[in-house]
Amino acid sequence: MRTATVVLVAYVACVVVAAVWRLLPLSMVRDAVPDLGALTAAYLGLTARGNVAPAVGGSVVLGYLIDLISGTPPGLAALVLGLTCLITRAAQQRILVRGTAMTMGFSAFVALLVGVISLLVRALYGVPRPGAVVELQHIALVTVATAIAGGLVWKSFRRIDAAFARTHRERDAALEGLAP
Amino acid sequence: MTLRRRIVDWSLTGLLLLIPALVLRASLSRGEPSAVDETVLRITAPLQTAVSWIAEGIGGVWGSYVALIDVESENRELREDNEKLRKELASMTRRAYDVQALEELALVKKRIAADMIGARVIGAPLTPFRVVRLRIDRGANEIQPNMAVIAGTGPVGVIDKVFGDYADVVLVSDTRSKIDVVVKRTGRRGFLLGLGRDDSYACTITSLELASQTDQRAQVGDEIVTSGVGSIFPPGLVIGKITKLDGDDGMFQKVEVEPSVDVSRVRAVMVLLAPPPPADPDAKTRKRSEAAFGARAL
Repeated sequence: MRTATVVLVAYVACVVVAAVWRLLPLSMVRDAVPDLGALTAAYLGLTARGNVAPAVGGSVVLGYLIDLISGTPPGLAALVLGLTCLITRAAQQRILVRGTAMTMGFSAFVALLVGVISLLVRALYGVPRPGAVVELQHIALVTVATAIAGGLVWKSFRRIDAAFARTHRERDAALEGLAP
Repeated sequence: MTLRRRIVDWSLTGLLLLIPALVLRASLSRGEPSAVDETVLRITAPLQTAVSWIAEGIGGVWGSYVALIDVESENRELREDNEKLRKELASMTRRAYDVQALEELALVKKRIAADMIGARVIGAPLTPFRVVRLRIDRGANEIQPNMAVIAGTGPVGVIDKVFGDYADVVLVSDTRSKIDVVVKRTGRRGFLLGLGRDDSYACTITSLELASQTDQRAQVGDEIVTSGVGSIFPPGLVIGKITKLDGDDGMFQKVEVEPSVDVSRVRAVMVLLAPPPPADPDAKTRKRSEAAFGARAL
């Protein structure tokens, strides 16, 4: 239920971002869309409780919905976010994402990771790609935007986690970013 | 977590990753959305539409607000430009008027074969409604009293006082002014006298003979020109037009004349240093020289 809620909130946020970002004034700002899918997948991976399958499943579903919104080939973002979730799940025991700097840094890392995985997957599947310079510029802009938006997104997800907490201790831990 | 549960978990994870991989391959080979994609799109479309509608609405308001800020700054710039251009226009208009006045004076100089000097109007004392006299920038070493002063459109007045580098001009409309004039249409003479009114430059003509024939009498609109007789003004200068007929006393007509020169706008004038020489009575008769030593002309 928690994972479904996070995915639903993330999907609505993606829809809002997709609708709002194209109205922004500067083309560079328009290109710098925060990768909410990457943040969600990373959050789900980092906060996976025991089983990894629900987190990966949530990421895949979210990725599929993002594919449908963004017009990318269905399955591309789903696969990329699933893999991202899996990688961040592996980092779960080693990273504690707390504080503004750490959150921004980790968000940037996640965006970069998603960019690289996306590149690899597209190369593997032979999906048409823009030029290398454009690709790198896009990844850089998205990384910066994701780093900036990361704090807010993670805070929202932690509030959702706190809402699903069974005890006060779990709630406080969720709000502090100590979950699971 | 037991090993079995762990295996199930990882198997499920693998399966979950396999599905998008297969979906991606299928979608790339198919090249168009599947039935599942279309169904999901149909379900999620209302949300997207609603969010887009709200975002565009807010974006529209924001855009209008930003546009208004731009309009305000643009308006400020345009106001500044407008003010600057107005000043330039005023300056150009003044220059144009000066040039026009100078051109008219140049024409006067060309038309009148008399020795004259240009002068700039430096002052024009006013009553509440009209200019009383003009002050020009020519002094005692150049001009002297009773010299005629002419603008491009006609006589202005006569030099009154000369002091230092300046001189005052008595206007045609002043009561002290008296100029021998002719009604151009009828050729009848009279004396133009200023009425000295506070609210106009009106003049009157005295000694204007009342003709027995009606069409030989002065009428409203008749042009009045200088006669050149017994006056410091050369003949033929348009001095004004008859604006009003005040009847007659059985011998002379009484008329009111509006001078042609707008004294309030005069910036430069010509001062006649000496009256023009009298016209040559033999100017239009051809004379041939006698042949020298009786030789016949070829």
